[in-house]
Order: sequence, then structure tokens, then C-alpha cells
Amino acid sequence: MLSFIVRRLALSIPTLFGVLVVVFLLLYVAPGDPVQEMVGERADAETIARLRKELHLDEPLLKQFTLYTGGVLRGDFGNSYITQRPIIQDIRERFPKTLLLAGSAMLLASILGITLGVLSARNPGGWFDRLGLGVAYLGISFPVYWVGLILILIFAVILKWLPPSGYGGIKYLILPALALGSRSIAFLARVTRSAMLDVLGGDFVRTARAKGLNERVVVVKHALRNALIPIITVLGLDFGYYLTGSILTETIFSWPGLGRYVVNAITRRDLPAIQGSVLFLSVVFVLVNLLTDLAYAKADPRVAYS
Amino acid sequence: MRRPFLLLLPAILACGGGGESAPARKTLIDSRDNYDPRSLDPALSTDVPTGRAVGYVFDGLTRFTPDAKVVPGLAKSWDVSPDGITYTFHLRSGVKFHDGRPFTAKNVVASFQRVLDPATKGGRGWPLYPIKGAEDYAAGKATTMAGMAAPNDSTVVITLKEPFSIFPKLLAMPVTSIIPDNPSADFGQHPIGTGPWKFAEWRHDDYLRFAKNPDYFDGAPKTDSLMARIIPEMSTAQAEFEAGNVDVLNVPDEASKSWQADPGKSKLLSSAPALRFWYVAINTTRGPFADVRVRQALNYAVDVSTMLSQVMAGRGTVANGVIPPSLGGADPSRKGYAYDVNKAKQLLAAAGHPNGIDVELWASTTDQSPRISQTLQANLAAAGIRAKIIQRDASSMREAARKGQTDLALKEWWADYPDAENFLYPLLHSKNKGVGGNVSFYGNPKFDALIDQAHQEQDESKRNTLYTQADALQFNDAPMIYLFFYKDLFAVQPWIKGFTVPAVFNGQRWTDVTISK
Repeated sequence: MLSFIVRRLALSIPTLFGVLVVVFLLLYVAPGDPVQEMVGERADAETIARLRKELHLDEPLLKQFTLYTGGVLRGDFGNSYITQRPIIQDIRERFPKTLLLAGSAMLLASILGITLGVLSARNPGGWFDRLGLGVAYLGISFPVYWVGLILILIFAVILKWLPPSGYGGIKYLILPALALGSRSIAFLARVTRSAMLDVLGGDFVRTARAKGLNERVVVVKHALRNALIPIITVLGLDFGYYLTGSILTETIFSWPGLGRYVVNAITRRDLPAIQGSVLFLSVVFVLVNLLTDLAYAKADPRVAYS
Repeated sequence: MRRPFLLLLPAILACGGGGESAPARKTLIDSRDNYDPRSLDPALSTDVPTGRAVGYVFDGLTRFTPDAKVVPGLAKSWDVSPDGITYTFHLRSGVKFHDGRPFTAKNVVASFQRVLDPATKGGRGWPLYPIKGAEDYAAGKATTMAGMAAPNDSTVVITLKEPFSIFPKLLAMPVTSIIPDNPSADFGQHPIGTGPWKFAEWRHDDYLRFAKNPDYFDGAPKTDSLMARIIPEMSTAQAEFEAGNVDVLNVPDEASKSWQADPGKSKLLSSAPALRFWYVAINTTRGPFADVRVRQALNYAVDVSTMLSQVMAGRGTVANGVIPPSLGGADPSRKGYAYDVNKAKQLLAAAGHPNGIDVELWASTTDQSPRISQTLQANLAAAGIRAKIIQRDASSMREAARKGQTDLALKEWWADYPDAENFLYPLLHSKNKGVGGNVSFYGNPKFDALIDQAHQEQDESKRNTLYTQADALQFNDAPMIYLFFYKDLFAVQPWIKGFTVPAVFNGQRWTDVTISK
């Protein structure tokens, strides 16, 4: 197991290096100039030239790349061109907020989605199954920004139960987590349902029932456990995406997370901020995938890594 | 992401109920910032949220009132030498920074030097370039600014390179604010100024909070604290306003009509002409656009007043020149290019394009640009001008326009200071071609001469006459399609008293604003 983890981590290094190269090249060929963003609408050529020099933007690409990579290896992601703050500090401030939102959305999605899926599978074709199908269709079809704005309209503007946006205690968390998790709830419900249906038809379930176990034990302990692999896959993938910045949700709910940070960095062509956050998010993504793989082994003893 | 993702939602949200009773809070809450300020360091204030916040914490030698008058700030008065070169500023005495240190003339010299210091990497030195030696200092060629002197603690003498009569207006810009000595390394995070509000807290991408400075020299703010929330999505800002959580809302263009139509909400609206100008820069050096007839044809082909009422919900006035009507030098009697498709076709034919021309119209993705560019495309098509819309993000478009790669570029210009010069000079003077702001690459020696003369003219009415002449001259040369001067439309909660919509973005400092029943 340990050697598996070490090997996977080692393999991720070339992946991350690849990400770094691609991001660097993309930003190099993309139109837009960070210095012009720094100086604003009215400027003069001398100032621009001076800033380019100061930021080493006039150096050859390879030199710029070496400078940057050298910094990263020393643990220095550099300072933002625009705000002059250290990128690391910016990420450290925002990532926990993204993590909180993504974690809450996943928690909500697991509870609601799996429950919905299990209950639907209990009686396929029944009224609850059809209701679940309806909910799932809606959840998958509605885009997250629409869901977000509708939630704000209902719960914040009309009912005034929750604040429309912002960051703070749990009451600020509910709506964005629900909006962000809505797609996962729907998707998980469908995946759980079909995995459960497969498993519930299995011999061991019949055996379990035959030996007189009560239905709850059969469903939760025997069937659900065996249906977990596809569920974990969905959870892992969605969690990875949410962590890398739920840009739309963060924007709609004014949530001060990493997604908005990245978008702002891109609009302003803040190269170190873009590079630093993309690199950081790649690491997060790699780790989440690794954790997902480890969870497979935990859920199913037949899966073994060595 | 600074723009609404969904255009129809503001209309839906606008159907909700509004909070009528005054909240118990003693904090004024603004909702207009839609992205995090760059920094709270005046030397880095190149964007609107930064400029607004800097305006709360700091003072300049002068400042703007909401209706764009320039009044004394840290300087209680100033004298100008007869040749217009030497400005002597008499500073207020007894002013203290928020940390208790006294404000003196030395701070002015140091603050200006810091803005220009290459190590600051601020990028906005130009408001100080009129000062003698400023450009050398910025280039690292000199260790002090020749034109700055502080003969005693309460006097600053500034010598200019050449007469520049509107110089005091530039000293009200956020970038020329005065900071204390030896600013800390994280000054941009923990600013200390002399202004009406002390900095209290900054949660990035969330909010800024300021506490009143009870010792403010011009009278302490009437409310305890001020919060600037950062809300990227305008529909969300509307919801916050509906819920009574914010006091002032910048009504989105696309929601204006539903706000104006609602009897309950229209009472809350407050409008004022903004010093913002929408236009299409015509690159006068590219192909057919070198011919003035083609440029005039473009102007005749566009139906600006219909565009204003249909696309902009009437939020603007038709521009017949580049000087907003509220500024000196504007000529309300000037006859504009009336919408006349036949005239446009005739001019094109006379210029040798009887079958029309093909052009590229660049537009950004921000604000109403997509909709305006589509309207322009349709208008131009009727006159035989086949426009292909090139839509890019603001940054890419600006770069292309500055490099002279655009035929037509749909742009919006925000004034930094209330003077016709802030429109005429950057947008059209030949010195500013490209990065300076003149992306029409317009160059007319007669126009340049009038502006240069206006720079030196001490008498305001004579100066305004020069502006009017210069504006008329360029209007005839048509280096742009003149669209409109934008109007701000704010919603202000009924419990807010004393808030007026500022003409310049840093012109409202909330000092007289109160929350009351």
C-alpha cells in the first residue's frame, strides 16, 4: 500500500511539470499583456517598458521559465503582478474557503443523493423512484448559476431565511453548498440506483434475505457496500472538480474562494497568480484522485494495490 | 468574472419584495465593487475599487465633491505664479495621520516620489509628470524630483515643466494621495492615511471595512463605520439590496427598465450623468479609414438615440463630441451627425466605395459591449458597411487596439478628473497614440496646438473656448463614432440620507451619509 502511494506520488511529478509547461506556453501565446493591465487605461510607453524589465517579461521565454521553475522548486510562487501580494498567501487565504464549500456540497450530495438512490432502487418503478427520477433530471439539467440565483430569490429575497451571499457562519454556507451540490445529488442518485439494482439481484442478497436478515441490514450492510465503487468514482471526480474552484457558484454567492481568484487573475493577466494557482490545483486534483483510488480498496477488499 | 451570467435574472429578481424599515446597524454598506481592489496603497490605485477605497482612507492636496468640483483637501489654498509654472500649496496645520503622526509638507514630497519610484511598480506616474524632473526621477535618472520643495512644514512648492492650468485637479486623483513616512512593507494591506475613514479590515473578495476617523479635519463622518462589499455578480447585488443588506446599488443596465417601471422601486432611484463616454475608435491609419468621408459615413450610419433607448434603457445622452455636457467646453449647440443612411452611402460612394466596405469591429465581453456591437453591426449593414464583430476579453482587445490592429474598437472611457482635457488629450492628442489612450491614432497638428495652448491657458473661460474649438475640429474629422455619455443609475435605500451619486468614481466619501428612519 505504502509503496503504491509513493509510486503514485512520484508519477505525479512529471504530470505536474507538464502542467507547468503547458500553462506557461499557453499564457505566452495568449493575447493580453499583464503590464498593460497593471497600468490601466492611460499610460506611457516608457513606464510599460520599465515594468516589463522589472518583471523580466523582456527576457527570452526559456529564461523566464527557468526563473519561475526555480522559484517554485524553492517553494516560492512569486508575487502577484497586480496586487504585489505573495501568491502562496493568496492561495492559503482562499483555498480553505473553497474546501469548506466543496466539502459541504459533497456531504450534502452524499447524504441526499445516496439516500435518494437507495430508496429508488428499493422499489423500481414505484412512485418514489419516479419522483427521484424527476428530481435527478432537474438537478442535472439546470445549470448551477440558474439554480444559485433561484435559491437566492426564494430563500433570501422572498422568504428572507438566509443571506443572499457572502462568507460567514453556516447560514452563509447552505445555499451555495446546495447549488453547487445539486448536480452531484442528481447524478449520485442515478448512479446509486443503478448500482443498487445490479447488486440487489445478486445471489448473496438472496442468501442474506433467506437467512432471515431484516431488510434494512440487507440493503445497507450487504447491498450498498457492494454498490459503493461507482458511487466513490462519482464522488471522487466531483470533489476534484469542486475543489479546483467552483467558479460559478463562488461568483453568484460572492464566496471568496479560489475559483474567483483564478478568474480574476486570468482577466487581469496576472501571470504568477495564474501559474501558481493552476499548479496548486493540479496538485489538489492529483491528491483527490489518489484518495479516491485508496477509497476503492477500503470499500472493496478485492481491490488491492501493491 | 465581472459580468452577469444571465441577463434575464435581474428581471426575475426585481420581482421580489423590498425591505422598508431602517436596519439597526450603524454601518453603511456599499455594493458597487465587483472585484477585489488591487491594493489599498495609493501608489497602486489604477482601478476603480482601489481608487474608491483609497479615497476613504487618504486625502490628496485637493479633492472632488460628488458633483465634480475641485475643492481644497490637505492644502487649504494655493497660489499660482503669473507664468503658471510655480504652484505654492499652503497646507492645513494640525492634521494627523490615523496613527497619530503629524502630517507635514515632507510627506507630500515623499508620497509623490514614491508614486514615481520605479521600485514601487505602480505604473501610474503620469498625473505627476507635469512636475519638473518627475519623468527623470521615474526613469531612475535622478535621485530627487527637481520640481518639489518643502520650504517649511506647511508649504509645498511645486514647479512644473511648463504651465499646466488644470494641475490641481490631478492632485485629487487617488494616486496622488498623501501617505505617512516609512510605510510598512504591507502598507497596501494596512494603509494609514489622514482621511475621514480609518482602515479596519479587509477580507479579500469579501469586504472592506472602515471605521470613522473622529478627528477628521473636515468633520468626522456621521456614521460609525463603512463597509464596501465585493459582489461580482450584479444579480446578487440586487438580491442583497432587496434583502436590505446593502444601502446603495448600481442598477444593472439590463434591469433599469424593470426598476423604472416599478412604482415602489422607482422612488429609490437616483441618477446622475457620469463622466463616462462610449465611443468607437476608428483607426484613422488603416485602409479606407484614412479618408474622412468614410469616417463621417460611419457616424451617419449609426442610430445612436435608438440605441440609447433600446439597448441602454435611456441611460445616456447622445455625444456630439467628446466633452460631456456637464463639463466646461461642451457645446450644446453643436449639430451632430444625424442618423441618415443615404448620406452615409453617398459619402462612401464619393470616397470610392460604392459597394460598401468590409470592416472589423472589435468589442469586449464586458458590460453592454456585446449588445452595442450587434446594434452597430446592424446599423452599419444598412449603409453597406459589412462589419465583422471580433469579440475578445477586455485585456486582449485593449492590447490589439493599442497596437493599431483594430479597424473599429468599441470603447468606454472613464474620466479620472472632471475636465474636458481628460477626454480631449488622452483620446485624441497625437502624443497619446497607442498606450496613451488615442487608439484612433488621430493626429492633427491644429488640434494638438489647441490642446497645448489650453494646457497653458490660466483663464478658465478662455480655456473652455479652446476646448470647444478643439472638440469641433476633431468632431468634423470624425476619428471615432460618437456614441453617448453614460448616466449612472443607483438605487439608494429609503433609510439612507445624504447620499448623492458622484460624477467621478472617488467623489463620494460617505462622510455626510446617515441611516435614519
